[in-house]
Amino acid sequence: MAQCVQSVQEFIQDSFVPMVAVLCSEDADRVTRKNNLNFSELLRPFCRLTSEGHLRDPSNQIQVVKNLKICVSNIVTEPPQQVVTRRLLSEVVSASQPAESSVANVITAGDYDLNISATTPWFETYRETFLQSMPASDHEFLNHCLACMLVATSHENAPVEQFQKLSQEQHRIQHGSECTYPKWFIPNTLKYYVLLHDMGEGEEQRAESIYEDMKQRYGTQGCYLLKINSRTSVQSSNEQIPDPWSQYLHKSNFQNQVYDATNYTLSSVLSLIDAPCKTCNDHPLRLDQTSAHMDGIDALRAPVSDGKKVPSASSTHGACLTLNDHDRIRQFIQEFTFRGLLPHIEKNIRQLNDQLVSRKGLSRSLFSATKKWFGGGKVPEKSISELKNTSGLLYPPEAPELQIRKMADLCFLVQHYDLAYSCYHTAKKDFLNDQAMLYAAGALEMAAVSAFLQPGAPRPYPAHYMDTAIQTYRDVCKNMVLAERCALLSAEILKSQAKYSEAATLLIKMTSEDSDLRSALLLEQAAHCFINTRSPMVRKFAFHMILAGHRFSKAGQKRHALRCYCQAMQVYRGKGWSLAEDHINFIIGRQSFTLRQPENAVSAFRHILLNDSKQAASQQGAFLREYLYVYKNVSQASAEASLPQLPLPCIQSSATRVFFGHDRRLAEGEKQAASHVSLDQEYDRELSQQWRELEEQVVAIVNRGVLPVTFQPTQYCLNSQTDNMRFPLAVVEEPIIVEVVFRNPLKVSLVLTDLSLLWKFALKEFTLPHGSEASEIVSNEKDDLITTEVISEFCMNPEETKVARLKLLPHQTGELHIRGVVYNLGAAPSPGDDGTKILCSSGSVFSDGMFVRGRQDLEIQGPRLNSTKEEKTSVRHGPDRRLDPIITPPMPLLEVFFINFPTALLCGEIRKAYVEFANVSKVPLTGLRVVSKRPEFFTFGSHTSALTPLSPGASENCSAYKTVVTGSSSSSSSAVATTLVSPLDFGAGGNGSQPGVVDIPLPDSVLQPGASIQLPMWLRGPDREGVHEINFLFYYESTEKTSKMSHRVLRHTAIICASRSLSVRATACRSNTLPERSMERDGSMLVFVDVENINTNEAGVREFHIVQVSSCSKQWRLHSCINPVGDKDSKLTSRERGKLCFRAIKCRNQEGRLFYIQCSAVYTFADINLGNEQIISSTTPCADFFFRRCQTTELKKGFTTGGVSFGQSGSLSDSEGDIASVVRKCSEVDLNIVVLWKAYVVEDNKQLILEGQLHVALQTIGKEACSLSQKEEAQEMVLLKFRPELPPPLVRPSTEQLSHLIKTNLHYPESYDHPFPQKSLCMVPVTLTLSNCSMVDVDVVIDLRHKATSPETLEIHGSFTWLGQTQYKLPLKAQEVHKLQLTACFIHAGVYNLGTHRVFAKIANQDSTCEASQQSSMPALIVVNSI
Amino acid sequence: IELKFHYTVHTSLDVVEEKVSAVGKVIVDQRELYLGLLYPTEDYKVYGYVTNSKVKFVIVVDSSNTSLRDNEIRSMFRKLHNSFTDVMCNPFYNPGDPIQSKVFDSMVSSMMVQTC
Repeated sequence: MAQCVQSVQEFIQDSFVPMVAVLCSEDADRVTRKNNLNFSELLRPFCRLTSEGHLRDPSNQIQVVKNLKICVSNIVTEPPQQVVTRRLLSEVVSASQPAESSVANVITAGDYDLNISATTPWFETYRETFLQSMPASDHEFLNHCLACMLVATSHENAPVEQFQKLSQEQHRIQHGSECTYPKWFIPNTLKYYVLLHDMGEGEEQRAESIYEDMKQRYGTQGCYLLKINSRTSVQSSNEQIPDPWSQYLHKSNFQNQVYDATNYTLSSVLSLIDAPCKTCNDHPLRLDQTSAHMDGIDALRAPVSDGKKVPSASSTHGACLTLNDHDRIRQFIQEFTFRGLLPHIEKNIRQLNDQLVSRKGLSRSLFSATKKWFGGGKVPEKSISELKNTSGLLYPPEAPELQIRKMADLCFLVQHYDLAYSCYHTAKKDFLNDQAMLYAAGALEMAAVSAFLQPGAPRPYPAHYMDTAIQTYRDVCKNMVLAERCALLSAEILKSQAKYSEAATLLIKMTSEDSDLRSALLLEQAAHCFINTRSPMVRKFAFHMILAGHRFSKAGQKRHALRCYCQAMQVYRGKGWSLAEDHINFIIGRQSFTLRQPENAVSAFRHILLNDSKQAASQQGAFLREYLYVYKNVSQASAEASLPQLPLPCIQSSATRVFFGHDRRLAEGEKQAASHVSLDQEYDRELSQQWRELEEQVVAIVNRGVLPVTFQPTQYCLNSQTDNMRFPLAVVEEPIIVEVVFRNPLKVSLVLTDLSLLWKFALKEFTLPHGSEASEIVSNEKDDLITTEVISEFCMNPEETKVARLKLLPHQTGELHIRGVVYNLGAAPSPGDDGTKILCSSGSVFSDGMFVRGRQDLEIQGPRLNSTKEEKTSVRHGPDRRLDPIITPPMPLLEVFFINFPTALLCGEIRKAYVEFANVSKVPLTGLRVVSKRPEFFTFGSHTSALTPLSPGASENCSAYKTVVTGSSSSSSSAVATTLVSPLDFGAGGNGSQPGVVDIPLPDSVLQPGASIQLPMWLRGPDREGVHEINFLFYYESTEKTSKMSHRVLRHTAIICASRSLSVRATACRSNTLPERSMERDGSMLVFVDVENINTNEAGVREFHIVQVSSCSKQWRLHSCINPVGDKDSKLTSRERGKLCFRAIKCRNQEGRLFYIQCSAVYTFADINLGNEQIISSTTPCADFFFRRCQTTELKKGFTTGGVSFGQSGSLSDSEGDIASVVRKCSEVDLNIVVLWKAYVVEDNKQLILEGQLHVALQTIGKEACSLSQKEEAQEMVLLKFRPELPPPLVRPSTEQLSHLIKTNLHYPESYDHPFPQKSLCMVPVTLTLSNCSMVDVDVVIDLRHKATSPETLEIHGSFTWLGQTQYKLPLKAQEVHKLQLTACFIHAGVYNLGTHRVFAKIANQDSTCEASQQSSMPALIVVNSI
Repeated sequence: IELKFHYTVHTSLDVVEEKVSAVGKVIVDQRELYLGLLYPTEDYKVYGYVTNSKVKFVIVVDSSNTSLRDNEIRSMFRKLHNSFTDVMCNPFYNPGDPIQSKVFDSMVSSMMVQTC
């Protein structure tokens, strides 16, 4: 129970006060009416006595009466109607609402912090009104009238007669048979005569004299002269007098209204019946009805309306009363009580006591005697008495039991609780004996109360008395009113003793179906009890609050109901009791709506819908409908100023994606558009990093190698993972697409209609130097600035997550801020009924009324900042500017289409495709470039148009190569075409340019608006098999530079599936043959090319033809084919392997000088065609790809060698490094072989001829090189070592390498005839040719001394001897060829091996340690014949 | 109906708390986990059980159901407690998450079936 203003004692005392009736004369009423009050009302504020009264009890003890209150009221002849009382109570309760600023105490119980109104004034007023409006019943006397005031005025003609008349009237009411109400305490009621004197009207003397007269007649104790109205209305205005009536009359005003209204209806009804009406209406007793007793209805109305108006005229009570008058009234009451009432009570108590004492012995014995004697006869009487219990009358008014009770009541009223208790106790026993349950219950109740009120509390409060009383009242007597009173008292007492849970049980027991209001109030009090227990029972509190709220709402007390639910909500909120929470929210929403607090209603409903509710679908649907209904009403009520926020569906704002640009055409016939970026792609961090690198690359090249500070990678699609710190740029007249992710949390489907974006736009001119600053801020509904696309309908299935793409098309430059989305929210009709029909015609949906318009903001939280310490320690989020694009002036827009772009290629296959570039904007485009990580994959041809073959008009199946028919198919291999080409012609090898960036040759380098151009493009299948994703980034600029956007890019990802074709291995070795011609003397090599068909797709690819082998190198060129098989077209079917053998020679220029200068930038191309066509390898596709490949490999090599040399530099001496490099150089070849092939492929029953080329780079003599570079990764791995590298193993050149320094050749006749019989010694001249392959001087030592490798050879072949000098030492200059004439001497005919000489070489100026024996020449056999 | 159970169970927590605090005073060590009948309402009987770690179980039984005695309820609680412990022992379970264990689910529903 909540705290009350009154203490318990006060409360109980005030509940039971002496009742005093008032009977006024007509004139007296008129006098008091001047103050807008009747007499009893006039007295009411002064009814509490401030001074103590004294009283002698029967045993002559003085009893002090403190703080006594009396109740003065007009005589009302009818008992209050049940209905009226109810209405009165409910009005009183609903009128008493908690003030807005009422004190709320915060109770902390466990983890709950509850905000509970400390007081419940509505309950107190209810209780007060309830107790006051209790009808007097026969079993008790507490609210029976104890005295009667008879009031007349001094202005009447004959006041004394008037008094007489009034006295008679009173007597008639009390003792007359026709009136049973009000009840009177004692037969001879105290009559107190009051003479009212209006100071403003009559002269005082007359009043005094009448008073004197009265004194004589009634005694000084029984009459009083009250002077009032001493103030005239003139002087009233300037004096401010407190108005003690207002607080009392405010309440009674209600009472009056209710009474009046019922009287009116009652009398009107009665007047129709006519007969019984007379008796009722003829009583001129009711003061406000004094004039009404002639004819009922009309006159009755007047005071009613008066009574209503008067209080509303506000603070006119007591207008004619001065403070003096107040004092007089107060004095009058005091006089009345002390002189009149208390002595009267004292007298009566004494009297009753005497009666009881005198009768006690008699009655006791008598009763017991009668019981004994008529024991048999008593039984039926008992049953009768029980029957009568309910009607309430068992004892005649003069029964001795009632006398005891009467005395007890009197004692109770004058606060003599001791005596009262004992009397009640006796009475209780008697009543119980007689089975008079109603009486017994009453006695029990009062006994308990008086026991509680006894000063010093000698005995404990008998709670069980109360319980029995309540039970009896309720169950036996079926009198809920009394039971309720009893419960209220008891609860209050228990509460004062801190027995909260008992009080709560008591209160809860009293709830019943018959009165919702009572149940509600009691439940609420019970709830308050629970919260006040020693360990607060918060949940019980909440539960009972909800029950109370429910009952309140049933009782029509909506405001109270809402309050209860709100308080309970505090407990249930956020604790996971979602069903209960939803329920409460729902009720709160409903109640607030009916109470016209739509904002609260909406928020409550919103809460239900926002949370993931566990409700069933139907329930959710109901919630949603209710919400929509409420919401609609709200939005209709409020002006259209700002659209309110809608709770549904949930927007996952961080998943919002923004896309700038058009929807692209993807494919058009055989045209295939660049894949670019689209919203359908998933974001891939790695990929975007790649694109970013590509863009950086190309931008750096455009800006002469430096990346501008303001560089910002172009982002076409922004999402949660992209960098959104900067304002994105959008272009005028190009759409902005925002992808919003909606989630429907409900189990019912939702329909959104007219879904569009909400934006704000600030116009800004960027072309002007410092532009007109943001002129004005415009938001939606202005289509001339920005076209907003509207999605007319967007359905969401239950629990679905769906994406909506909303488009904006800006027409002006400026700053755009996308704020949110705006839409109509509606519930889809339940799937049961014909949903589709309604959905189709949106008109009917709208007429359904289930659509509301609202918005939801898109607020995206930026990424958490984590760079500075401050940011690390606190949680801070950066800005996210995804939705705030800047609209820039128009930029060109490129579209790229690929024609005949293949998806599958053989490794090394060459294919020609076309690319169409189209400028679809209104601005010319320039500076078109393309960048890719895989530049070896494609080419657009060289700058010099001579080298680029004209593109054939039709893209038929013709060769991508430029070919020349060489006439005869058996053209000799010696006819080798050679060409010199500089790599610069192919856009490669330039110093500044990075590989991978290619300028695209546009005519005039500008693409006009709307124009398009087709360019040929050659593709070469990647060397490695598998699926390759190749990214192209097209870069272009506007012809006019704008500050905001310097360039734009277009992305394309090509996916190529490469399958294996041929594998080419090549080895070069030094040919030992003596140069036949002087031209080729300086160096020639044998190149073995090993070609294997490793294609696995046997069905598709039938065979490969090697069409041509070309070489390109700075130093070497292929000279002729020395294939033993001949010049046949070399066919390779599946898994076949073929070997080709070529001779290569060093290049010479026209003057015949050797090309060996490294820096020479010119490559020599030499073609050896094996077919009947020569492919000019030095022109576009072939040469292009060759150079591309070179670049990439060089790039890789550059990395590795750079790394190695860094490691070496410290530890190596220069000279040794020299040797190494010299030696290495000597064996370097640097010859690139290009194998051109044709493949015959069967595809869809058609034979296709595919062409391709494979590259092999020969670098070292003797080392095999392969077209499939396998070890690249392994080499790159070296780079990853972080430890300082060990001194590399090749500190000194290996002997193997050194052995290649000198090339030796023996020239001799193959067979020599010698007549041995004639001359036993055969001398054969042999020429030893020594050629220095290296670029440094070499000292050569030639040792001819015999040193047979094994004894066997000696025996078999015999031996020969070199004649002459057996050891030569000669220096050889770089590249020098030296011939040494030797002579061999044979003594027998036979076959000899001349290659026995050993050659040692060392680089000049070096110590001998690095002297190395040179590669021993092959066996040089000579046949010596004897003739 | 679910709503009603929500309210019932929620309110019963107060009684549980009361009982626990009362018991705690008397004997701390050998506390009986089973709290017995918390309170009867018109339609249901509410039984409570508190583990040593203050996890509360509440069983609501139809008032008309007379087959379930105190002992049956007690064993039901014990069973419930055991399987709850199993769930908690799952290293992949984060305390505070809704229980999604199938074993627990089937155990509870089997108990339901058994009583009905």
